[in-house]
Amino acid sequence: MLRFLVRRVLGASVILLLISAVTFFLFFAAPGDPALLACGKNCTPDALTIIRENLGLDKSIPHQYWLFLSGIFTGRDFAIGHCDAPCLGVSFNDRTMVWDTIIDRLPVTVSLTVGGLIIFLTLGIGAGLLAAAKKGTMVDKAASSTSLVLSSLQIYFIGPVVLGAVVYSTGWLDAPQYNEFFDGPMAWAAGLLIPWVVMSLIFTAQYTRMTRAMMIEQLQEDHVRTARAKGMGSKYVFFRYAWRGAMVPIVTILGMDLGGMLGGAVVTEMTFGLAGIGRLAVDSVVNVDLPLTMGVMLVGATFILLFNILVDAAYAFIDPRVRLS
Amino acid sequence: MRLSSTRKARAIVVALAAGSLVLTACGGNNGGGDGKDNSNTQDDAAAQSKPVEFGDAEASKGPAEPIKGAKKGGTIRVYQESDFTHLDPGQIYVSDAGQLSSLIHRGLTTYKQDDEGGLTVVGDLATDSGTTEDDGKSWKFTLKDGVKDSDGDEITSKDLRHTIERRYAKFQTEGPTFIQEWLSGSGTTYRKALPDGPYEGKHLPDSVLETPDDKTIIFKFKTARPDLPQALTMPGYAVVPEAKDTKEKYTNGPVALGPYKIKEFKRGKGMQLEKNEHWDADTDPMRHQFVDGWNITYNHSRADQTKRIMSDRGEAKDSIQLSGSVDTPQVKKVVEDPEISKRTIQGYQPYVWQLNMNMDRIKDKRVRDAITHALPQKAILRPDGGAYGGEPAGGLLAPTLPGYDKSFDPYDKLKKPNGDLEKAKELLKEAGKEGMTLVYGHAAEPHRTEQAVIVEKALEKAGFKVEKKDIPGSAWYETVGKVDNKLDIYMTGWGQDWPSATTVVPVLYHGGNIADGKSNYSHIDDKKVNEQIDKALEITDPEEAQKEWVKIHEYIVEEINPAAPMYYTKQLQVYGSNVGGARYGQVKSYIDLTRLYLKS
Repeated sequence: MLRFLVRRVLGASVILLLISAVTFFLFFAAPGDPALLACGKNCTPDALTIIRENLGLDKSIPHQYWLFLSGIFTGRDFAIGHCDAPCLGVSFNDRTMVWDTIIDRLPVTVSLTVGGLIIFLTLGIGAGLLAAAKKGTMVDKAASSTSLVLSSLQIYFIGPVVLGAVVYSTGWLDAPQYNEFFDGPMAWAAGLLIPWVVMSLIFTAQYTRMTRAMMIEQLQEDHVRTARAKGMGSKYVFFRYAWRGAMVPIVTILGMDLGGMLGGAVVTEMTFGLAGIGRLAVDSVVNVDLPLTMGVMLVGATFILLFNILVDAAYAFIDPRVRLS
Repeated sequence: MRLSSTRKARAIVVALAAGSLVLTACGGNNGGGDGKDNSNTQDDAAAQSKPVEFGDAEASKGPAEPIKGAKKGGTIRVYQESDFTHLDPGQIYVSDAGQLSSLIHRGLTTYKQDDEGGLTVVGDLATDSGTTEDDGKSWKFTLKDGVKDSDGDEITSKDLRHTIERRYAKFQTEGPTFIQEWLSGSGTTYRKALPDGPYEGKHLPDSVLETPDDKTIIFKFKTARPDLPQALTMPGYAVVPEAKDTKEKYTNGPVALGPYKIKEFKRGKGMQLEKNEHWDADTDPMRHQFVDGWNITYNHSRADQTKRIMSDRGEAKDSIQLSGSVDTPQVKKVVEDPEISKRTIQGYQPYVWQLNMNMDRIKDKRVRDAITHALPQKAILRPDGGAYGGEPAGGLLAPTLPGYDKSFDPYDKLKKPNGDLEKAKELLKEAGKEGMTLVYGHAAEPHRTEQAVIVEKALEKAGFKVEKKDIPGSAWYETVGKVDNKLDIYMTGWGQDWPSATTVVPVLYHGGNIADGKSNYSHIDDKKVNEQIDKALEITDPEEAQKEWVKIHEYIVEEINPAAPMYYTKQLQVYGSNVGGARYGQVKSYIDLTRLYLKS
C-alpha cells in the first residue's frame, strides 16, 4: 500500500509539474496582455513597461516560471508583503495573495460538492438499485425514462428555469447564496438548496442509469448465479454479491466527478452566482490573471489526481481480486 | 475614456472600460409604463448639454440640500456583477469603483447636480471650486475646517500634497494622469519628477505644488489649465491621508472621508458599508447619510440583478443596481410594466460608438463617405439594447457634452437610420473603388458578432467586399490600438472624462496621438485639425473653448470623416420599491448614490 501511494504521488507530482508548465507557457502564447488591462487611459509604451515591471512580466518567461515554482516551496516577497510557502503568487488583477483567495473560495465549492453528493448518491444509487431489482416493471420503466430525460438536461438551462419558478416569480425560496456552515448549518443548507437540487437532478439521473445497468449486468454473472444456486437469500445476493461488483465502475466515475466538482463546478457556480473555485477560474481567465489562473488550475488538477489515487486505492477494498502491489 | 468592447464585460475588462466622469441624462424616472418607447430623446439631452458652472464658497457649503420625505435608517441592498478591482482612489478609473467612491471617498472638488440636471463644480473638501488669478496657470484651494477621515484624524494640506505626489509612484498605474502630466510633463515623463512618489521623503518643488500652510494648496502649471477644478472631481484624485497610506495594500483597505466607511470587504464575495461617524454633513455640499449601511454582494449577473429587483420581494424591495444595467432581454418587460417602469432611472451615457476607418489604408474620402452612408445604425444598435441601449449618432460628440448640436447630421444618419445604399453606391462608383475589399475587425463577443453581420451585409450591398476578422475581447484594444493593425474598419467607443470636449477631441483626433496603445484609432493626422486642437487647448474661457471645439468637430466629421458615427449609449437601471430619492446621477451615468433612502 505504501509503495503504491509513493509511486502514485510521485507520478501525480510529475503530472502537476507538466500541467503548470503547459499552462504557464500557453498563457503567454494566448492573446491578451495583462499589462494592458492594468494600464489606464492613453496607455503609452512607457506606462506598459512600468506595469510589466510591477507585475514581474519584464523577466524572461522561463525566469518567471522558475520564480513561480520556487515560490511554491520557499515563498516569495511582493510589494504587498511576504507570501509564505506554498506561495502561488499575487493576483495581477486585485493584488491579493492567490493562495488566500483560493482558500477563501474553497468552502463554497466544497459545500456545493458535498451537499450535491449526498443527494445524488442517495437518490441516484437508490433509484438504480430499485430499477434493477424491479427490472421490467413499471418502477423500472419510470426510473429509466425519468433518468434518461434528466440526464439530457443542462444546469445552465434547468438552473434559470428553477430560479424563475421558485425564486423570481413566486418567492417560495430565497435566491441561492453561500452562508458559512459554522455561522449556522440551517442557513448554509437553505442558501445552497436550489443549486444542490438542480445539480443533483442531472447527476442523480446519471447514477441511476449507471447503477441500474451495472446491477443488471452483475445479477447475470456466474458468481451471482452460483450464490443463488447455493440457496442464499435474494437480498443477501443482491447486496453482498451483485452490488459489490457493480460498485467498481461507479466508484471510478464518482472519483472523476468529485475531482472535477472540487476543482470548480464552473457552470453551477456561474448559474447560481456562487463565488467558488469555478467562478474564480472564469474570472482569472477573463482578467488575463496569470497567477490566479495557475493557482486555480493547480488546485483543480490536484483534486482530480488525488481522487484518481483514492479511487485506485478504493478498488482494493471493494474488489478482493485487485492488489495494489 | 475608453469603452470596453462589450457592454456586458464593461465591469470585467476594467482598465479598458474606464467609465468614470460623465455628464448624462435626465433626472428621475422617464419610464412611462404605457407600452410606448419612452427612452429619452435628444430633447432631454439638450437640457444636459448646458455648460458646467463653477460654484463659489456659498455653493460649496454643507449640508446638502434636503430631500423631501427622506427617512433615516435601514440598509440598502446592492446586487453587483463583479468585485471592485481597486479601492485606492489613485487606481480608480472605472465606473463601478468610481460609483462606489461617491460613498466613501472625497476630493478637493465635486459636482453638485440640481433638479433640472444642471451641474456645478463646487468645493468638496475645498471651500470653493478653486481660485485663479492668472487665467488658470495656477490654482489655489483652501481646505474646509473640521474635515476628518474615518479614524477621526483631521485632513491637512499635507494630505492633499501627498494625494497628488503618490500618483507619481510606480505602483499607481490605473488612475487618471491628467494632473500629473499638467504639473510635470506629458506621457510618462512626469514620473521622472518624483520616481518614488513621496515615499522616500522627496517632494515636488514649491514651484509646482505649494502648501504654504495647513489649509492651502496651490497648483502651478506651465500653461493655463482651466479644467483643473473638473479634473479634481475625478475619483482618481480623492484624498489619501499621508499617515494612512499603505501603498500597494491601500487598495484593499482605504480609510474613508465620505459618509460611509468599509465595515467588511470580502474579495470576490461582497462588501458591507457602515456610517462614518467622523463625516460631518456641514462640510459636504452634496452627500447625505440617510441609511445606516449598504450590503453589496457580487456575482449577480445582469439577468439575476434585473429579475430579483423586478420581483420586488423581500430584501429586493430595498435593492439597487450599482453599475449594472437592466438585462437586455428584460428591457421590454421593465419599461412596459407600469409598476416596474416607475422604479427605473435612465439617461444618456457619455459614450459614442464610432466605426473607425483606418486612414492609413482608406485614403479616399469618397470611400469613407460611402461606408458612412451605407451603415444602418438603427439595425446595428439592436444587438446592443435597441432604443433603450442607445440612439443613432449624427456626429462624434455625445449628447452629454456641452455644445452638442442635435441637428448636426452631415451624413443624414438621423434622417436615414437604416442607411442610404444608393448614395453609398454612387460615391463608391465615383471613387472607382467598386468591389473594394474592407478588412473588418470586430470583437468576438455575441453582440459584436451580431453587429458585424449587419455591417457586413450593408457594406456588401453598397458594393464592397468584406473580410471579417474576429478578435478576442480581451485583446481587442491591444489589437486595434496598434498603428499597424492591418484592419480597415473597426468599432470603438469613447466617452468624456468630464463634460468638456478637451477629453475627447484631442485624444481621438490629434495626429500626435497616433502611436501603439494610443487612442487615435482612425489615424487621422490633419495639419489643420492638429493646429486647431492645439489652439483650442489654450483657450481659458470655457464658452469660447466650447465654440472652438464644436467648429473643430464639425470640420473633422464633414471634411475628413475619419470615423462613421454609430450610436450614443443610454443607461437603464431598476431599483426596489422601498428605495427613495432615486435619480439619474449625471456625473457617473448611474443611479445617484449620494441621496438614497429607504421609505420604511
